[in-house]
Amino acid sequence: MAGKRDQSGIISLIGIACSFISGGLTWLAIWNHPTVSAEINWFTIGASTFKVGILLNNLSALMLLLVPTVALPVHIYSRAYMKGDPGIHRYWMYLSLFCFAMLGLVVMDSLLLMYIFWELVGFASYLLIGFWFTRETAVQANKKAFIVNRIGDLGFLIGLAIIFTQFKTLNLIDLFGETGLIYQSAVTNGQWVSPVNSMDQIWLTIAGLAFFLAAMAKSAQFPLHVWLPDAMEGPTSVSSLIHAATMVAAGVFLLATVFPLFNESALLFIAIIGTITAASAAYFALGQYDIKRILAFSTISQLGFMMVGIGIGTWDAALFHLVTHAFFKCLLFLSAGAIIHEMAHLKTHSHLDFDPQDLRNMGGLKKYMPKTFILMSVASLALAGFPLTSGYLSKDSIVISSFEWALSKGDFYLIIPVSLIVISILTAFYIGRLIFKAFLGDFRIMDQVKDKLHGAPLHEASKTMLIPMFILGICCLFPLFSLNPVSYHDSWLMDGLLLDEYTFAPCHSAHLIIPLILLIGSIISWVVGWKWYVQHTYSLNTNSLALKAAFNQGYINELYQWIFVDGTLKIARFCYWFDRYVVDSLVAFIQFIVLSLSRLSVWIDKYIVDGFVNAVASVAYWTGNQVRLVQNGKLQTALYSVFLFVLLGLIYLIFF
Amino acid sequence: MITLTHFLVVSACIFCIGLYTVLSKKNAIMILVGIELMINAAILNFVAFGKYDKVSYGGQIFALFAIVLAAAAVAVGLALVLNVYRHYKTINPDEINELKDK
Amino acid sequence: MEIILFYAFAVLAIGSALLLVNLKNIARALFLFFIVLFAMAGLYLFALADFVAITQIMVYVGGVLILMLFAFMLSNKELLKDLKDSSGTFLSMPRWQAIVLSLGFLILMIFGIREWQQSPPTWIQQARENNTEIISTDNNIQQIGLRFMTFYVLPFEVISVFLMMALIGASHLSRKERDR
Repeated sequence: MAGKRDQSGIISLIGIACSFISGGLTWLAIWNHPTVSAEINWFTIGASTFKVGILLNNLSALMLLLVPTVALPVHIYSRAYMKGDPGIHRYWMYLSLFCFAMLGLVVMDSLLLMYIFWELVGFASYLLIGFWFTRETAVQANKKAFIVNRIGDLGFLIGLAIIFTQFKTLNLIDLFGETGLIYQSAVTNGQWVSPVNSMDQIWLTIAGLAFFLAAMAKSAQFPLHVWLPDAMEGPTSVSSLIHAATMVAAGVFLLATVFPLFNESALLFIAIIGTITAASAAYFALGQYDIKRILAFSTISQLGFMMVGIGIGTWDAALFHLVTHAFFKCLLFLSAGAIIHEMAHLKTHSHLDFDPQDLRNMGGLKKYMPKTFILMSVASLALAGFPLTSGYLSKDSIVISSFEWALSKGDFYLIIPVSLIVISILTAFYIGRLIFKAFLGDFRIMDQVKDKLHGAPLHEASKTMLIPMFILGICCLFPLFSLNPVSYHDSWLMDGLLLDEYTFAPCHSAHLIIPLILLIGSIISWVVGWKWYVQHTYSLNTNSLALKAAFNQGYINELYQWIFVDGTLKIARFCYWFDRYVVDSLVAFIQFIVLSLSRLSVWIDKYIVDGFVNAVASVAYWTGNQVRLVQNGKLQTALYSVFLFVLLGLIYLIFF
Repeated sequence: MITLTHFLVVSACIFCIGLYTVLSKKNAIMILVGIELMINAAILNFVAFGKYDKVSYGGQIFALFAIVLAAAAVAVGLALVLNVYRHYKTINPDEINELKDK
Repeated sequence: MEIILFYAFAVLAIGSALLLVNLKNIARALFLFFIVLFAMAGLYLFALADFVAITQIMVYVGGVLILMLFAFMLSNKELLKDLKDSSGTFLSMPRWQAIVLSLGFLILMIFGIREWQQSPPTWIQQARENNTEIISTDNNIQQIGLRFMTFYVLPFEVISVFLMMALIGASHLSRKERDR
């Protein structure tokens, strides 16, 4: 049990199990019951007092249930996955830290405290991404993640400042409760007027955009998504918990919390960014060969979906998608982790050098890992939105609502729902590609490993891994969320998070047509994928420019490197040059002047001042020397002076 | 006609020459010579004015006294010069310029 | 006629005195002094003081000068050496301060004489008028002797005592030192 020698992580397990139990009990107590909140005074500055406290409403109770439900299987899975790793005690430590931060984030009743936990979650992510810190790529990745997250934190701070200036409080109940300040303020005559302050209406938009900036960084929206693919450097169990299910969902949670703050322009902006994110991520996923990268881009794309859900006003649909996404994405990552685990074993046993995560090295794994195959397929169906899965309910809710919203706003806005439909079909395609390339067909590196082994090259994952995956698989199916597999409005989740009404009218025909389009599109993409990847009749050019661009993530990373990193280095080099040559030469010049002045003053002192004194002394000496001659003791001198004075006396007497 | 003025002019010249001798000679004896010249000039002066004193012959009598005094002075002076020479081995007045004995 | 003789004697006296001053050779200077004394005696004669002239020759020339010569001869070998060395330079460079002073005196005295010449004292005028001027046919010696014994007897005695003192003093001063 003691410190570093303990490999079992039993304390963390017990901890997360207790969180799960207490989370469940809390949910039972709070869901569809009155809100509970409690607070105490924390500190006072001037006239304002800051309090710390807990707020439990439907939203926070839901999150409080979700997080341990996803974290507990991951903890159990980690026991098997991280076995034998030399840093495992750090792993349990960081994982528990993350769970603490995430749970704290969802129950806090003040925006300031949310910010504190927000930062803590980002920090825990940094620690876990760089878990294998001896690898250079891991260190670069965690630095990148933290720096991009900081940009988002700046947005959060700006939003905090604006809200505090406008409302003089950061308490969620005071702001967003039923009779909150936000509902008492309105925009009149170009001014955003609240009960305690008023400012120009542009600040309302800015506050909304500031909070969205925070969500952009945390939830990996375009263009701040660049950290998430690199975050795959961490262990797979970490990726499943943090970068699929919970932390990236924190952004969506924040936006749902401060939803009343957004005005029309902010919401439209959110929707547009969400769409762009979803589209670009789906495009990039098409060209990746690393399993985890495909799943990372899939996460970004689905987060884009959630942002669109918020942008069109249906944040309950966005949250529904968040919950279902947590389950099936976590399962996808855990299955991928099982595959990678087995491939890494193969690598060490056969002493070959191949990338255990590369799709091109896999194939036909259905033979060796059938249970993993089944579970991963279930999760993929959920991701694609196939009927009878939970994903079908949540994804269709967003797409259908977006269609209704676009109809109510104007025909130009139909771009968004149409894009979402295309993206969904692409989603089905790329996840199908993954399944086909990994599980079906023949094992691609079989020839290389055949001689080195006896028996099957890969084994099924251990029970410790399979059981959590199985639990998550059950949650991917529809019964957990709604007894009606077709209509999402009957889901207990949507009922609980009920908004009074949407701002747009429902369109019943859309409820039928769109799911049909999505289903047909998914089946067609799977048939095409089957032909290309299983039967190897690939009809496109592998080295085409479009595929290359997708593989290189649209060269966005290179762009950022060129602008920000190189730019900063150039500025630093310029400052160094400036300091070295301009400032130092200025200092040297001043030094030269001072030295010259001092030399001049030395010269003056030595020759002029001293010279004057010496001259006076010389004159005195010379005069004395001359006068001395009077007393030379000679007789004739005395006689001479006598007669001289006699003569002078006579002259005086005679003439004057 | 030899007037009083002639005598006085001659006397003045002799006196000045004697003065110059006293002040600028490097020999003690020459200094005494200079003194003698000055006294002689004074005696000439006496005699010149005594011409006009028949009543008491004052000029000529004092001329005689002056001659005697000059002689006595020279005698004593030369005795002193002799002593100085014995002591200092020189009679250059420039070298006898200290109060203490050498 | 007289005046020419007077000028001759005067020039002789002054010229010898000047030459005396400028010679480095002291022996020759003393001999020039000898000539100066004779010339001065001559000048006394022109002032009708015959006894003073004779006394001058006897005392000065015959006594003082001889004394000086002896003293000079006895004074040092260095001077004799000096005589030999200084034969090259006949005249010595005079010191300018002494010249200036002497000339100053000369000018002053000549100036005074010229001033005085305008207004001589009254007693000289009276002497001329009252015929109490000495004339060449007077018996000076007799008159001087008479005056010595009656009018000036005290200075006469004093001066003889003084001479004796000088004699004793000089001989004492120049005594030979005993060997120590």
